[in-house]
Amino acid sequence: MANLDSRGLATEPIPARAGIGFRSVHHDAWSADGKSSRPAVGWIEAHTENYFHDGGAAARALERARADYPLSLHGVGLGLGSAEGVDRAHLARVRAAIRRFEPALVSEHACWGRVDGECFNDLLPLPYTDEAVRVLARQVREAQDFLGSQLLIENVSTYVTFAHSHLSEWEFLSAVVADSGCGLLLDVNNIFVSACNLGLDAHAFIAGIPRAAVQEIHLAGHARNGDVLIDDHGSRVCAEVWELYAAALARFGAQPTLIEWDTDIPPLATLVEEAHRADRMLEGLRGLAA
Amino acid sequence: MASLLELQRSFGAALRGGADSATVDDAARACGLEPPANLSIYRHNSDHAFRSALEIGFPVLRRRVGDDYFRQLAHHYRVACPSRSGDLHWAGQDFSVFLAEHLRGGDYAWLADLARLEWGREAAAVCAELPALGADALRKYPAEMLEHLTFTLQPSLRLVESPFPVFSVWFANQGENASPVDQSAGRECGMIRLRSNSMEVTRLAPDLFSCMDSLVHGATLGEAVTAANVGESRLIEVLGFLFSSSLVSSLTPAPGRRQGTSS
Repeated sequence: MANLDSRGLATEPIPARAGIGFRSVHHDAWSADGKSSRPAVGWIEAHTENYFHDGGAAARALERARADYPLSLHGVGLGLGSAEGVDRAHLARVRAAIRRFEPALVSEHACWGRVDGECFNDLLPLPYTDEAVRVLARQVREAQDFLGSQLLIENVSTYVTFAHSHLSEWEFLSAVVADSGCGLLLDVNNIFVSACNLGLDAHAFIAGIPRAAVQEIHLAGHARNGDVLIDDHGSRVCAEVWELYAAALARFGAQPTLIEWDTDIPPLATLVEEAHRADRMLEGLRGLAA
Repeated sequence: MASLLELQRSFGAALRGGADSATVDDAARACGLEPPANLSIYRHNSDHAFRSALEIGFPVLRRRVGDDYFRQLAHHYRVACPSRSGDLHWAGQDFSVFLAEHLRGGDYAWLADLARLEWGREAAAVCAELPALGADALRKYPAEMLEHLTFTLQPSLRLVESPFPVFSVWFANQGENASPVDQSAGRECGMIRLRSNSMEVTRLAPDLFSCMDSLVHGATLGEAVTAANVGESRLIEVLGFLFSSSLVSSLTPAPGRRQGTSS
Protein backbone atom coordinates (compact mmCIF):
# COMPACT_ATOMS: atom_id res chain seq x y z
CA MET A 1 0.00 0.00 0.00
CA ALA A 2 1.39 3.38 -0.96
CA ASN A 3 1.87 6.05 1.70
CA LEU A 4 -0.68 8.76 1.05
CA ASP A 5 -0.72 12.43 1.96
CA SER A 6 -3.77 14.28 3.29
CA ARG A 7 -5.12 14.58 -0.27
CA GLY A 8 -4.78 10.85 -0.96
CA LEU A 9 -1.74 11.15 -3.24
CA ALA A 10 1.16 8.66 -3.06
CA THR A 11 4.12 10.36 -1.39
CA GLU A 12 6.99 8.02 -2.33
CA PRO A 13 9.81 9.37 -4.51
CA ILE A 14 10.20 7.93 -7.99
CA PRO A 15 11.95 4.58 -7.46
CA ALA A 16 14.88 3.39 -9.56
CA ARG A 17 12.50 1.12 -11.43
CA ALA A 18 10.79 1.25 -14.79
CA GLY A 19 7.65 3.31 -15.29
CA ILE A 20 5.33 3.87 -18.22
CA GLY A 21 3.44 6.79 -19.71
CA PHE A 22 -0.06 7.57 -18.44
CA ARG A 23 -2.15 7.70 -21.63
CA SER A 24 -5.87 8.20 -22.10
CA VAL A 25 -6.35 4.96 -24.05
CA HIS A 26 -5.41 3.05 -20.88
CA HIS A 27 -7.41 5.06 -18.32
CA ASP A 28 -9.75 2.17 -17.54
CA ALA A 29 -6.86 -0.12 -16.64
CA TRP A 30 -5.29 2.46 -14.34
CA SER A 31 -8.51 2.88 -12.40
CA ALA A 32 -9.39 -0.83 -12.20
CA ASP A 33 -10.78 -2.05 -8.89
CA GLY A 34 -8.16 -3.67 -6.73
CA LYS A 35 -4.47 -2.87 -6.76
CA SER A 36 -3.58 -6.34 -8.07
CA SER A 37 -5.37 -5.67 -11.35
CA ARG A 38 -3.52 -2.40 -11.99
CA PRO A 39 -0.30 -2.29 -14.04
CA ALA A 40 2.69 -3.64 -12.12
CA VAL A 41 5.07 -0.75 -12.76
CA GLY A 42 7.03 1.41 -10.35
CA TRP A 43 5.73 4.82 -11.37
CA ILE A 44 3.94 6.77 -14.09
CA GLU A 45 4.74 9.79 -16.23
CA ALA A 46 2.15 12.18 -17.64
CA HIS A 47 2.47 15.01 -20.15
CA THR A 48 2.06 18.19 -18.13
CA GLU A 49 0.06 20.04 -20.79
CA ASN A 50 -2.69 17.40 -20.72
CA TYR A 51 -3.46 18.40 -17.12
CA PHE A 52 -3.70 22.17 -17.40
CA HIS A 53 -7.47 22.18 -17.06
CA ASP A 54 -9.85 22.35 -14.12
CA GLY A 55 -11.75 19.21 -14.97
CA GLY A 56 -12.31 16.49 -17.50
CA ALA A 57 -11.80 12.77 -17.67
CA ALA A 58 -8.01 12.91 -17.98
CA ALA A 59 -7.52 14.92 -14.80
CA ARG A 60 -9.86 12.68 -12.82
CA ALA A 61 -8.13 9.54 -14.08
CA LEU A 62 -4.73 10.90 -13.07
CA GLU A 63 -6.01 11.87 -9.64
CA ARG A 64 -7.22 8.31 -9.12
CA ALA A 65 -3.95 6.81 -10.33
CA ARG A 66 -1.94 9.10 -8.05
CA ALA A 67 -3.21 7.19 -5.02
CA ASP A 68 -1.21 4.18 -6.22
CA TYR A 69 1.78 5.49 -8.17
CA PRO A 70 4.47 8.15 -7.80
CA LEU A 71 4.26 10.61 -10.68
CA SER A 72 6.65 12.40 -12.98
CA LEU A 73 5.24 15.38 -14.91
CA HIS A 74 6.91 15.79 -18.30
CA GLY A 75 6.35 19.02 -20.20
CA VAL A 76 6.58 19.49 -23.95
CA GLY A 77 5.46 23.10 -24.35
CA LEU A 78 7.69 25.49 -22.42
CA GLY A 79 10.47 25.73 -25.03
CA LEU A 80 12.92 27.07 -22.44
CA GLY A 81 15.54 27.80 -25.10
CA SER A 82 13.32 30.33 -26.89
CA ALA A 83 15.33 33.54 -27.16
CA GLU A 84 12.28 35.75 -26.67
CA GLY A 85 11.80 34.50 -23.11
CA VAL A 86 9.66 32.17 -21.05
CA ASP A 87 5.91 32.07 -21.57
CA ARG A 88 4.85 33.08 -18.06
CA ALA A 89 1.23 32.05 -18.58
CA HIS A 90 2.32 28.56 -19.58
CA LEU A 91 4.69 28.42 -16.64
CA ALA A 92 1.84 29.38 -14.29
CA ARG A 93 -0.21 26.47 -15.61
CA VAL A 94 2.73 24.12 -15.02
CA ARG A 95 2.90 25.37 -11.43
CA ALA A 96 -0.83 24.79 -10.96
CA ALA A 97 -0.44 21.22 -12.25
CA ILE A 98 2.47 20.64 -9.86
CA ARG A 99 0.40 21.87 -6.90
CA ARG A 100 -2.53 19.71 -7.90
CA PHE A 101 -0.78 16.43 -8.70
CA GLU A 102 2.36 16.74 -6.53
CA PRO A 103 4.82 15.02 -8.88
CA ALA A 104 8.10 13.66 -7.53
CA LEU A 105 9.92 14.74 -10.71
CA VAL A 106 9.27 17.58 -13.16
CA SER A 107 10.95 17.66 -16.55
CA GLU A 108 11.14 19.67 -19.79
CA HIS A 109 13.31 19.68 -22.90
CA ALA A 110 16.53 21.33 -24.04
CA CYS A 111 14.87 23.00 -27.00
CA TRP A 112 13.06 26.09 -28.18
CA GLY A 113 9.53 26.36 -29.59
CA ARG A 114 8.39 29.97 -29.91
CA VAL A 115 9.49 33.10 -31.74
CA ASP A 116 7.69 36.42 -32.24
CA GLY A 117 4.76 35.04 -30.26
CA GLU A 118 4.15 32.08 -32.54
CA CYS A 119 4.40 28.58 -31.11
CA PHE A 120 5.53 25.76 -33.37
CA ASN A 121 4.50 23.04 -30.93
CA ASP A 122 7.59 20.98 -31.61
CA LEU A 123 10.89 20.36 -29.83
CA LEU A 124 13.10 22.55 -32.01
CA PRO A 125 16.90 22.23 -31.91
CA LEU A 126 19.27 24.74 -30.37
CA PRO A 127 22.70 25.64 -31.69
CA TYR A 128 25.32 24.53 -29.19
CA THR A 129 26.81 27.94 -28.48
CA ASP A 130 27.72 29.93 -25.38
CA GLU A 131 24.77 32.24 -26.02
CA ALA A 132 22.33 29.32 -26.17
CA VAL A 133 23.80 27.94 -22.91
CA ARG A 134 23.25 31.33 -21.26
CA VAL A 135 19.67 31.65 -22.55
CA LEU A 136 18.61 28.11 -21.67
CA ALA A 137 20.31 28.11 -18.26
CA ARG A 138 18.86 31.52 -17.36
CA GLN A 139 15.35 30.42 -18.27
CA VAL A 140 15.70 27.06 -16.52
CA ARG A 141 16.72 28.97 -13.38
CA GLU A 142 13.77 31.32 -13.83
CA ALA A 143 11.40 28.37 -14.24
CA GLN A 144 12.84 26.52 -11.24
CA ASP A 145 12.51 29.62 -9.04
CA PHE A 146 8.92 30.14 -10.16
CA LEU A 147 7.93 26.47 -9.83
CA GLY A 148 9.78 25.92 -6.55
CA SER A 149 11.10 22.69 -7.98
CA GLN A 150 14.24 21.46 -9.67
CA LEU A 151 13.74 20.69 -13.36
CA LEU A 152 15.18 17.79 -15.27
CA ILE A 153 16.08 18.80 -18.81
CA GLU A 154 15.88 16.20 -21.57
CA ASN A 155 18.16 15.94 -24.59
CA VAL A 156 16.02 16.01 -27.76
CA SER A 157 16.33 14.04 -30.99
CA THR A 158 17.92 16.20 -33.67
CA TYR A 159 17.92 16.05 -37.44
CA VAL A 160 20.19 19.00 -38.21
CA THR A 161 23.36 20.64 -36.96
CA PHE A 162 24.01 24.38 -36.89
CA ALA A 163 27.20 25.74 -38.42
CA HIS A 164 27.25 28.09 -35.40
CA SER A 165 27.66 25.24 -32.89
CA HIS A 166 31.11 25.10 -31.31
CA LEU A 167 30.21 22.78 -28.43
CA SER A 168 29.21 19.12 -28.57
CA GLU A 169 25.70 18.35 -27.34
CA TRP A 170 27.05 16.78 -24.15
CA GLU A 171 29.27 19.81 -23.48
CA PHE A 172 26.24 22.02 -24.05
CA LEU A 173 24.04 20.05 -21.64
CA SER A 174 26.80 19.83 -19.03
CA ALA A 175 27.24 23.62 -19.15
CA VAL A 176 23.47 24.17 -18.71
CA VAL A 177 23.46 21.82 -15.70
CA ALA A 178 26.43 23.62 -14.14
CA ASP A 179 24.94 27.07 -14.76
CA SER A 180 21.32 26.38 -13.74
CA GLY A 181 21.42 23.62 -11.13
CA CYS A 182 18.98 21.52 -13.11
CA GLY A 183 19.24 17.76 -13.48
CA LEU A 184 19.15 15.76 -16.69
CA LEU A 185 16.57 13.42 -18.10
CA LEU A 186 18.70 11.34 -20.43
CA ASP A 187 16.74 10.02 -23.39
CA VAL A 188 18.80 7.12 -24.68
CA ASN A 189 16.69 6.71 -27.80
CA ASN A 190 17.21 10.39 -28.60
CA ILE A 191 20.96 9.95 -28.27
CA PHE A 192 20.80 7.02 -30.68
CA VAL A 193 18.58 8.85 -33.18
CA SER A 194 20.74 12.00 -33.16
CA ALA A 195 23.94 9.96 -33.37
CA CYS A 196 22.71 8.03 -36.41
CA ASN A 197 21.31 11.11 -38.14
CA LEU A 198 24.31 13.35 -37.56
CA GLY A 199 27.18 10.87 -37.45
CA LEU A 200 27.92 11.31 -33.73
CA ASP A 201 29.42 8.83 -31.27
CA ALA A 202 26.61 7.79 -28.90
CA HIS A 203 29.03 6.32 -26.37
CA ALA A 204 31.08 9.52 -26.32
CA PHE A 205 27.80 11.34 -25.58
CA ILE A 206 27.15 9.13 -22.54
CA ALA A 207 30.75 9.38 -21.38
CA GLY A 208 30.60 13.19 -21.66
CA ILE A 209 27.60 13.68 -19.37
CA PRO A 210 28.39 14.30 -15.67
CA ARG A 211 27.50 11.21 -13.62
CA ALA A 212 25.57 13.03 -10.89
CA ALA A 213 23.37 15.00 -13.29
CA VAL A 214 21.20 12.16 -14.59
CA GLN A 215 18.08 11.51 -12.51
CA GLU A 216 15.80 9.84 -15.05
CA ILE A 217 16.16 7.90 -18.30
CA HIS A 218 13.77 7.61 -21.24
CA LEU A 219 13.57 4.67 -23.65
CA ALA A 220 11.43 4.63 -26.78
CA GLY A 221 11.13 3.31 -30.30
CA HIS A 222 11.83 5.20 -33.50
CA ALA A 223 11.01 4.88 -37.19
CA ARG A 224 13.27 4.86 -40.23
CA ASN A 225 12.52 7.13 -43.20
CA GLY A 226 15.20 6.46 -45.81
CA ASP A 227 18.51 7.38 -44.20
CA VAL A 228 16.91 9.33 -41.39
CA LEU A 229 15.70 7.98 -38.05
CA ILE A 230 12.53 9.66 -36.80
CA ASP A 231 11.85 9.82 -33.08
CA ASP A 232 8.17 8.81 -33.25
CA HIS A 233 7.73 6.85 -29.98
CA GLY A 234 5.66 4.37 -31.96
CA SER A 235 7.33 0.98 -31.53
CA ARG A 236 9.33 -1.23 -29.18
CA VAL A 237 12.78 -0.17 -28.02
CA CYS A 238 15.28 -1.54 -30.56
CA ALA A 239 18.26 -3.78 -29.72
CA GLU A 240 20.83 -1.01 -30.25
CA VAL A 241 19.03 1.28 -27.83
CA TRP A 242 18.83 -1.49 -25.19
CA GLU A 243 22.61 -1.87 -25.58
CA LEU A 244 23.11 1.86 -25.20
CA TYR A 245 20.82 1.77 -22.15
CA ALA A 246 23.13 -0.83 -20.58
CA ALA A 247 26.05 1.53 -21.17
CA ALA A 248 24.07 4.39 -19.60
CA LEU A 249 23.25 2.29 -16.52
CA ALA A 250 26.91 1.33 -16.20
CA ARG A 251 27.85 5.02 -16.08
CA PHE A 252 24.91 6.58 -14.21
CA GLY A 253 23.79 3.68 -11.99
CA ALA A 254 20.20 2.53 -11.54
CA GLN A 255 17.89 5.41 -12.48
CA PRO A 256 14.11 5.68 -12.88
CA THR A 257 13.49 4.60 -16.47
CA LEU A 258 10.44 5.40 -18.55
CA ILE A 259 9.13 3.43 -21.51
CA GLU A 260 7.70 6.13 -23.82
CA TRP A 261 5.12 5.16 -26.41
CA ASP A 262 3.02 8.00 -27.80
CA THR A 263 1.89 6.99 -31.31
CA ASP A 264 0.16 3.76 -32.33
CA ILE A 265 -0.10 3.05 -28.63
CA PRO A 266 -0.30 -0.73 -28.02
CA PRO A 267 -2.21 -2.61 -25.31
CA LEU A 268 -0.99 -1.82 -21.82
CA ALA A 269 0.46 -5.32 -21.50
CA THR A 270 3.03 -4.51 -24.20
CA LEU A 271 4.19 -1.41 -22.35
CA VAL A 272 4.41 -3.34 -19.09
CA GLU A 273 6.44 -6.03 -20.87
CA GLU A 274 8.94 -3.42 -22.08
CA ALA A 275 9.06 -1.92 -18.59
CA HIS A 276 9.80 -5.32 -17.07
CA ARG A 277 12.70 -5.75 -19.47
CA ALA A 278 14.15 -2.48 -18.20
CA ASP A 279 13.43 -3.60 -14.62
CA ARG A 280 15.43 -6.79 -15.17
CA MET A 281 18.42 -4.72 -16.31
CA LEU A 282 18.04 -2.40 -13.32
CA GLU A 283 17.85 -5.40 -10.97
CA GLY A 284 20.90 -6.91 -12.62
CA LEU A 285 22.79 -3.73 -11.92
CA ARG A 286 21.73 -3.79 -8.26
CA GLY A 287 22.79 -7.47 -8.10
CA LEU A 288 26.23 -6.51 -9.35
CA ALA A 289 26.48 -3.76 -6.77
CA ALA A 290 25.38 -6.02 -3.88
CA MET B 1 27.44 35.33 -36.37
CA ALA B 2 23.66 35.57 -36.10
CA SER B 3 22.22 35.91 -32.60
CA LEU B 4 20.06 33.14 -31.16
CA LEU B 5 16.95 35.25 -31.74
CA GLU B 6 17.93 35.87 -35.38
CA LEU B 7 18.55 32.15 -35.90
CA GLN B 8 15.21 31.25 -34.40
CA ARG B 9 13.45 33.86 -36.57
CA SER B 10 15.04 32.35 -39.70
CA PHE B 11 14.17 28.85 -38.56
CA GLY B 12 10.60 29.93 -37.81
CA ALA B 13 10.29 31.54 -41.25
CA ALA B 14 11.31 28.24 -42.81
CA LEU B 15 8.75 26.32 -40.73
CA ARG B 16 5.91 28.52 -41.92
CA GLY B 17 7.33 28.86 -45.43
CA GLY B 18 4.50 27.16 -47.29
CA ALA B 19 5.25 24.83 -50.16
CA ASP B 20 8.07 26.93 -51.64
CA SER B 21 11.12 24.71 -51.20
CA ALA B 22 13.48 27.52 -52.31
CA THR B 23 12.29 29.59 -49.32
CA VAL B 24 12.97 26.68 -47.01
CA ASP B 25 16.42 26.10 -48.48
CA ASP B 26 17.28 29.79 -48.12
CA ALA B 27 16.20 29.76 -44.52
CA ALA B 28 18.14 26.55 -43.84
CA ARG B 29 21.27 28.18 -45.27
CA ALA B 30 20.66 31.31 -43.21
CA CYS B 31 20.59 29.11 -40.09
CA GLY B 32 23.68 27.22 -41.20
CA LEU B 33 21.79 23.94 -41.03
CA GLU B 34 23.23 20.64 -42.18
CA PRO B 35 21.72 18.75 -43.89
CA PRO B 36 19.33 21.50 -45.05
CA ALA B 37 16.80 18.99 -46.37
CA ASN B 38 16.13 17.72 -42.86
CA LEU B 39 14.48 21.02 -42.00
CA SER B 40 11.43 19.51 -43.71
CA ILE B 41 11.14 17.04 -40.80
CA TYR B 42 10.52 19.92 -38.41
CA ARG B 43 8.09 21.54 -40.85
CA HIS B 44 6.19 18.29 -41.10
CA ASN B 45 6.14 17.77 -37.31
CA SER B 46 4.92 21.28 -36.59
CA ASP B 47 2.26 21.16 -39.29
CA HIS B 48 1.16 17.67 -38.29
CA ALA B 49 0.85 18.57 -34.61
CA PHE B 50 -1.36 21.57 -35.36
CA ARG B 51 -3.54 19.70 -37.85
CA SER B 52 -3.89 16.69 -35.55
CA ALA B 53 -5.15 18.95 -32.78
CA LEU B 54 -7.83 20.24 -35.15
CA GLU B 55 -8.71 16.73 -36.32
CA ILE B 56 -9.26 15.66 -32.72
CA GLY B 57 -11.37 18.72 -31.96
CA PHE B 58 -13.48 18.82 -35.13
CA PRO B 59 -14.22 15.21 -36.15
CA VAL B 60 -17.67 15.90 -37.62
CA LEU B 61 -16.49 18.90 -39.61
CA ARG B 62 -13.67 16.77 -41.01
CA ARG B 63 -16.09 13.99 -41.87
CA ARG B 64 -18.40 16.38 -43.69
CA VAL B 65 -15.73 18.12 -45.79
CA GLY B 66 -13.34 15.20 -46.34
CA ASP B 67 -9.66 14.90 -45.46
CA ASP B 68 -8.27 16.93 -48.36
CA TYR B 69 -10.46 19.99 -47.85
CA PHE B 70 -10.02 19.77 -44.08
CA ARG B 71 -6.26 19.80 -44.61
CA GLN B 72 -6.57 22.93 -46.77
CA LEU B 73 -8.77 24.65 -44.21
CA ALA B 74 -6.32 23.74 -41.43
CA HIS B 75 -3.42 25.16 -43.44
CA HIS B 76 -5.20 28.45 -44.18
CA TYR B 77 -6.34 28.70 -40.57
CA ARG B 78 -2.80 28.17 -39.28
CA VAL B 79 -1.49 30.90 -41.57
CA ALA B 80 -4.21 33.29 -40.37
CA CYS B 81 -4.22 32.23 -36.71
CA PRO B 82 -0.93 30.53 -35.78
CA SER B 83 -0.62 28.74 -32.47
CA ARG B 84 0.15 31.10 -29.59
CA SER B 85 0.34 28.46 -26.89
CA GLY B 86 2.57 25.54 -26.01
CA ASP B 87 -0.66 23.72 -25.16
CA LEU B 88 -2.27 22.59 -28.41
CA HIS B 89 -5.63 22.03 -26.75
CA TRP B 90 -6.42 25.65 -27.61
CA ALA B 91 -5.37 25.45 -31.27
CA GLY B 92 -8.99 25.30 -32.43
CA GLN B 93 -10.49 28.07 -30.35
CA ASP B 94 -10.63 30.57 -33.24
CA PHE B 95 -11.39 28.02 -35.98
CA SER B 96 -15.11 28.86 -36.14
CA VAL B 97 -14.37 32.60 -36.36
CA PHE B 98 -11.86 31.95 -39.14
CA LEU B 99 -14.34 29.74 -41.02
CA ALA B 100 -17.10 32.33 -40.68
CA GLU B 101 -14.89 34.82 -42.50
CA HIS B 102 -13.38 32.31 -44.92
CA LEU B 103 -16.75 30.86 -45.99
CA ARG B 104 -18.86 34.01 -45.65
CA GLY B 105 -21.79 34.15 -48.05
CA GLY B 106 -21.05 30.78 -49.64
CA ASP B 107 -22.96 27.52 -49.63
CA TYR B 108 -20.84 26.20 -46.79
CA ALA B 109 -21.18 29.09 -44.35
CA TRP B 110 -22.92 26.69 -41.98
CA LEU B 111 -19.61 24.88 -41.40
CA ALA B 112 -18.56 27.78 -39.16
CA ASP B 113 -21.46 27.10 -36.82
CA LEU B 114 -20.74 23.37 -36.88
CA ALA B 115 -17.18 24.26 -35.84
CA ARG B 116 -18.59 26.44 -33.04
CA LEU B 117 -20.59 23.48 -31.77
CA GLU B 118 -17.57 21.19 -31.90
CA TRP B 119 -15.32 23.73 -30.19
CA GLY B 120 -17.98 23.98 -27.49
CA ARG B 121 -17.49 20.27 -26.87
CA GLU B 122 -13.70 20.67 -26.71
CA ALA B 123 -13.89 23.57 -24.29
CA ALA B 124 -16.57 21.96 -22.11
CA ALA B 125 -14.67 18.68 -21.86
CA VAL B 126 -11.98 20.17 -19.61
CA CYS B 127 -14.22 22.20 -17.28
CA ALA B 128 -14.77 21.47 -13.62
CA GLU B 129 -18.08 19.90 -12.61
CA LEU B 130 -19.59 21.64 -9.60
CA PRO B 131 -22.01 20.03 -7.14
CA ALA B 132 -25.53 20.62 -8.40
CA LEU B 133 -28.50 21.95 -6.43
CA GLY B 134 -31.85 20.19 -6.41
CA ALA B 135 -35.11 22.03 -7.00
CA ASP B 136 -35.72 22.09 -3.25
CA ALA B 137 -33.03 24.79 -3.04
CA LEU B 138 -35.74 27.20 -4.23
CA ARG B 139 -37.76 26.54 -1.09
CA LYS B 140 -35.22 28.51 0.93
CA TYR B 141 -36.50 31.70 -0.65
CA PRO B 142 -39.91 33.35 -0.20
CA ALA B 143 -42.08 33.24 -3.34
CA GLU B 144 -41.69 36.98 -3.98
CA MET B 145 -37.90 36.54 -4.03
CA LEU B 146 -37.79 33.90 -6.79
CA GLU B 147 -37.93 36.30 -9.73
CA HIS B 148 -34.94 38.16 -8.29
CA LEU B 149 -32.66 35.12 -8.12
CA THR B 150 -29.66 34.76 -10.40
CA PHE B 151 -28.54 31.26 -11.35
CA THR B 152 -24.96 30.02 -11.62
CA LEU B 153 -25.00 27.18 -14.10
CA GLN B 154 -22.33 24.50 -14.62
CA PRO B 155 -19.02 25.96 -15.91
CA SER B 156 -19.00 23.49 -18.79
CA LEU B 157 -22.34 24.69 -20.20
CA ARG B 158 -22.02 26.02 -23.74
CA LEU B 159 -25.07 27.35 -25.61
CA VAL B 160 -24.99 27.34 -29.40
CA GLU B 161 -27.55 28.93 -31.71
CA SER B 162 -27.38 28.84 -35.49
CA PRO B 163 -29.57 29.78 -38.45
CA PHE B 164 -28.60 26.34 -39.79
CA PRO B 165 -29.54 22.87 -38.49
CA VAL B 166 -26.06 22.22 -37.09
CA PHE B 167 -27.23 20.02 -34.25
CA SER B 168 -28.98 17.76 -36.77
CA VAL B 169 -25.76 17.65 -38.80
CA TRP B 170 -23.75 16.79 -35.70
CA PHE B 171 -26.09 14.00 -34.61
CA ALA B 172 -26.34 12.58 -38.14
CA ASN B 173 -22.57 12.44 -38.54
CA GLN B 174 -21.53 10.38 -35.54
CA GLY B 175 -20.61 7.61 -37.98
CA GLU B 176 -19.27 7.45 -41.53
CA ASN B 177 -21.44 7.77 -44.67
CA ALA B 178 -24.19 9.90 -43.12
CA SER B 179 -26.78 11.36 -45.47
CA PRO B 180 -26.57 15.13 -45.97
CA VAL B 181 -28.87 17.22 -43.79
CA ASP B 182 -31.16 19.65 -45.61
CA GLN B 183 -29.73 23.06 -44.74
CA SER B 184 -33.08 24.69 -45.46
CA ALA B 185 -34.40 22.99 -42.31
CA GLY B 186 -33.46 26.23 -40.59
CA ARG B 187 -32.53 27.48 -37.15
CA GLU B 188 -31.50 25.23 -34.31
CA CYS B 189 -30.25 25.85 -30.83
CA GLY B 190 -28.95 23.65 -28.10
CA MET B 191 -26.47 23.07 -25.36
CA ILE B 192 -23.26 21.19 -24.70
CA ARG B 193 -22.11 20.24 -21.24
CA LEU B 194 -19.91 17.84 -19.30
CA ARG B 195 -21.76 15.55 -16.92
CA SER B 196 -20.13 12.77 -14.91
CA ASN B 197 -17.14 12.85 -17.27
CA SER B 198 -19.34 12.41 -20.36
CA MET B 199 -20.18 15.02 -22.93
CA GLU B 200 -23.86 15.74 -23.57
CA VAL B 201 -25.11 17.50 -26.70
CA THR B 202 -28.80 18.41 -26.53
CA ARG B 203 -31.14 20.33 -28.82
CA LEU B 204 -33.23 22.86 -26.91
CA ALA B 205 -36.59 24.47 -27.57
CA PRO B 206 -36.10 28.16 -28.48
CA ASP B 207 -37.79 29.53 -25.34
CA LEU B 208 -35.74 27.26 -23.06
CA PHE B 209 -32.57 28.26 -24.92
CA SER B 210 -33.41 31.94 -24.62
CA CYS B 211 -34.14 31.62 -20.91
CA MET B 212 -30.87 29.75 -20.26
CA ASP B 213 -28.92 32.22 -22.37
CA SER B 214 -30.22 35.11 -20.27
CA LEU B 215 -29.39 33.28 -17.03
CA VAL B 216 -25.87 32.54 -18.24
CA HIS B 217 -25.40 36.24 -18.92
CA GLY B 218 -26.40 37.18 -15.39
CA ALA B 219 -30.10 37.98 -15.77
CA THR B 220 -32.45 37.27 -12.87
CA LEU B 221 -35.03 34.54 -13.29
CA GLY B 222 -37.71 37.20 -13.78
CA GLU B 223 -35.70 38.95 -16.50
CA ALA B 224 -34.91 35.66 -18.22
CA VAL B 225 -38.54 34.55 -18.21
CA THR B 226 -39.68 37.88 -19.64
CA ALA B 227 -37.02 37.85 -22.36
CA ALA B 228 -37.97 34.30 -23.37
CA ASN B 229 -41.71 35.01 -23.15
CA VAL B 230 -42.17 31.99 -20.91
CA GLY B 231 -45.58 31.56 -19.27
CA GLU B 232 -46.21 30.19 -15.78
CA SER B 233 -46.82 26.56 -16.76
CA ARG B 234 -43.81 26.59 -19.07
CA LEU B 235 -41.70 28.14 -16.31
CA ILE B 236 -42.25 25.05 -14.18
CA GLU B 237 -40.99 22.91 -17.08
CA VAL B 238 -37.94 25.15 -17.58
CA LEU B 239 -37.02 25.03 -13.89
CA GLY B 240 -37.66 21.29 -13.86
CA PHE B 241 -35.23 20.88 -16.74
CA LEU B 242 -32.53 23.03 -15.15
CA PHE B 243 -32.62 21.22 -11.82
CA SER B 244 -33.23 17.68 -13.07
CA SER B 245 -30.31 18.10 -15.49
CA SER B 246 -28.05 19.10 -12.56
CA LEU B 247 -27.25 22.37 -14.31
CA VAL B 248 -27.70 24.73 -11.36
CA SER B 249 -24.73 25.05 -9.03
CA SER B 250 -25.82 28.07 -7.00
CA LEU B 251 -28.63 30.58 -6.52
CA THR B 252 -28.00 34.16 -5.49
CA PRO B 253 -30.47 36.99 -4.87
CA ALA B 254 -29.76 39.94 -7.13
CA PRO B 255 -28.03 42.91 -5.44
CA GLY B 256 -30.47 44.80 -3.22
CA ARG B 257 -32.59 41.69 -2.77
CA ARG B 258 -30.29 39.66 -0.54
CA GLN B 259 -32.03 37.83 2.27
CA GLY B 260 -29.97 34.68 2.04
CA THR B 261 -27.90 32.65 -0.36
CA SER B 262 -27.92 28.99 -1.18
CA SER B 263 -24.95 27.32 -2.75
